Amino acid sequence: MVEEQESRVAREGRRRIGDPFVRAIARLPVNVRTKLLVAFVGTSLLLVAVGLLGQVVLGRSNDRVASVRPLQKRAVEYSQLQAQARYLRNVLTVNVATDFNTVWPDVAPPQIRGKYSLAVDLFAVDAARRIGASTAAGQLLFTPPREDQKMLDVITSKADELSRLLVERIIPLYGDRTTISNESEEMRPHRAHAEGLASDLHQEASRLANRTTDEINRLIARNASSFESSRVLFIGVAAGALVLALLLGLVLSWSMIGPIQRIDNRLAAIASGDFSGTVEVENRDELGALGANVNRMNDELRRLYTELEEASRHKSEFLANMSHELRTPLNAIIGFSQVLRDEMVGSVNEKQAEYLDDIISSGNHLLSLINDVLDLSKVEAGQVELEVRPFSLREALERGVVMVRERATEEGVRVAFAADPEVDVVDGDERRIKQVIFNLLSNAVKFTPAGGEVDVSATRANGEVRVAVADTGPGIAPEDWDRIFEEFQQSETGVGHREGTGLGLALSKRYVELHGGRIWLESELGHGSTFTFALPAGSSTS
Amino acid sequence: MTGEQILVVEDNEKNMKLFRDVLVATGFRTLEATTGGEAIDIASEHMPDLVLMDIQLPDLDGVEALHRLRADARTATIPVLALTAQAMRGDRERFLAEGFDGYVSKPVNVREFLGTVREHCQGRVG
Repeated sequence: MVEEQESRVAREGRRRIGDPFVRAIARLPVNVRTKLLVAFVGTSLLLVAVGLLGQVVLGRSNDRVASVRPLQKRAVEYSQLQAQARYLRNVLTVNVATDFNTVWPDVAPPQIRGKYSLAVDLFAVDAARRIGASTAAGQLLFTPPREDQKMLDVITSKADELSRLLVERIIPLYGDRTTISNESEEMRPHRAHAEGLASDLHQEASRLANRTTDEINRLIARNASSFESSRVLFIGVAAGALVLALLLGLVLSWSMIGPIQRIDNRLAAIASGDFSGTVEVENRDELGALGANVNRMNDELRRLYTELEEASRHKSEFLANMSHELRTPLNAIIGFSQVLRDEMVGSVNEKQAEYLDDIISSGNHLLSLINDVLDLSKVEAGQVELEVRPFSLREALERGVVMVRERATEEGVRVAFAADPEVDVVDGDERRIKQVIFNLLSNAVKFTPAGGEVDVSATRANGEVRVAVADTGPGIAPEDWDRIFEEFQQSETGVGHREGTGLGLALSKRYVELHGGRIWLESELGHGSTFTFALPAGSSTS
Repeated sequence: MTGEQILVVEDNEKNMKLFRDVLVATGFRTLEATTGGEAIDIASEHMPDLVLMDIQLPDLDGVEALHRLRADARTATIPVLALTAQAMRGDRERFLAEGFDGYVSKPVNVREFLGTVREHCQGRVG
C-alpha cells in the first residue's frame, strides 16, 4: 500500500520533472530566493504594465472625445451660417416682384408694396454684409481647416458681391421715396442674379455645415471602433499577463515541489531503514544542495549501517569463540577437581575436599556467567528469536518452586505458591519464561534471611497474566528500582551477596519485554521486595 | 576387565589427559587422536567401541570426520558422541542433526560424562 503510494508520488515527480519548462527553471543556477524575487518582481511588472496600458487606452479615449469638441463648435458656427444664408435666400426669394404680387395681388397699392420690397432688400443687404463680415479671414473664433477656408472665402466673396449688387444696382432702381416701385422691368435681371447669389451662398454654407457634421459622425464612429479595439487589447493583455503570471508561478512552484516531494520520499525511506536509493534533484539551488546532502547523509548512514552490521557479526563470532575458548580450560579445571573430589585417584582430607568444592562451584559460577553474557549479547544484537508455543505457566511456576525449595528449606526460608485457577496456558517461549521464573525465585530465596518467606502468586486480569514474587528480605531503595534491572548492578542492600552473575534481572527484563510484557519492582526498605512480571494472556485461555 | 575401547579425539592436551585418566580409572581402554585425520585412521584400524569427537580440530573438523567415518562401511556403525565446547543454544540440536549419537558439552560434569559414555557402550554391546 505504502509502496504503491510511493511509486505514484515518484511517477508524478518524474512526470513533472519531464516538463521542459520546470526542468529549465529547476536547472537555473540561481538560488531559490532570487527565483522567488524574480517571479514576484516579474508579476508586479506585469501588473504595472497592464496598469500603464490601461492608462494609455483611457488617455487616448479621452483625447478622442476631446477632439470632437472643437469640431462641434465649428459645426455650430457653420450651422448658424447656414441658417443665416437660408434666411437671406428666403428673404430675397420672397422679394421677387412677381412672387410678391402673387401673394398680395390687389390688397396693397403699388407704393406700399414698393416700400415693403425696399425694406426687405435693405434687410438683405444688412444680412449679406453680416455673413461677409463673419466669414472673413480672422473673424471666426477658431482657425478653420484649409478646405473650410476655401469654402468660407467663396462665401465671403459671394456675400460681398450680393451686398454690392443690392446696394449698387437694385436699391437705386427704387427711385424717389415717394414713387417707390418694385415692378420695374429693369430690376428683374439684377434681382434674378441676386437670388442666384443667395442660393449659391446657402448652398455653400450647407455644404460646409454638412461636411462638418459628416466629419463629426465619422470621428465618433472611429472613436467607437478604436475604443472597442483598445478594450480588446487591454483585456487581451491583462488576461495574457494573468496567464503568464500563473504559468510562471506554477512552473516555479513545481520546480520546487517536485524535488521536495522526492527528498521527502527518500527521507521517509531512510527513516524506515532503506538506504538503497538516492534522490535525484536537478536543481542548482538550495534544493539541489539539500538533495545532495540527503544523498550524502544516506550514503553515510548506509556506510555506518553496514559497519554496524559487520560489527554485530564480528561481535557474535567473537562471543561464540570466547565461549568456546573459556569453556575449554574450564573443562580441565572443573573436570580435574571433580576427579580429585570423587577420590578417583586417591583420598583427600576434609579441608582439601572443601577447597575442591569451592573450585568446582566457582568454575560453575564462571560457566553461568559465560552463558548469561552470551544470552544478553544475543538479545542486544537482536539475534534472539522466541520459540513461542502455548505452555502451562502454572506448571512452570510449580517446577520453579520445587527447584528452589530445597535450598530455601536449608536456609530456613518458607516458599508459598498460590495461583488463580484461570492461570494456566499462555503463549510464550517456555524455556525463557522458566529462566525468568527461576531467576526471580532464586533471587528472592537468596536475599531472604532465615525465618523469612517467599510468596509466589499468579493472577489473570485485563488480558494479562501477572506473576509476583514477594520476599521478606531487606528491600530495595526507590533510587535503585531502575538500576537493579541493568547489567552487573546490585542494590545497596544487596551488596555483599557475591553470588549470582549480576545479569539475571537484566536478562529477565529483556526476555519479558521480548514477549511484549513488562517487569517491575515494588519495595520498601526493611519490608522486602515484590518483583512482578506481566505477560499478554493472548488467545490461549484455559 | 573386558574394558571397552574408546577413541578420544581431542586437541587440547590437558582435556585429553582428563578424559583419558577418567576413562582408564573407570576401566575403559582408550585410543587417542588429536586431529580428525588421525581419528579416521585409528578408528578404521582399531575399530573402537565408541568415539568421543571434539568438534574444533586443527585439520578437518569433528562434523567432517564423523561424515567420513559414516561413509566407510567398516566404521559406519561405531557410535560417535560430540564432545565440544560449542555449547550455545541450538548447538546440541545442530550436532544431533548432523548424525552424532549423543552430545556432551564442555565443561563436562565427570559423573554425567561417564554415565553418557557407559550408556552408549552398553547400547552397542546390547
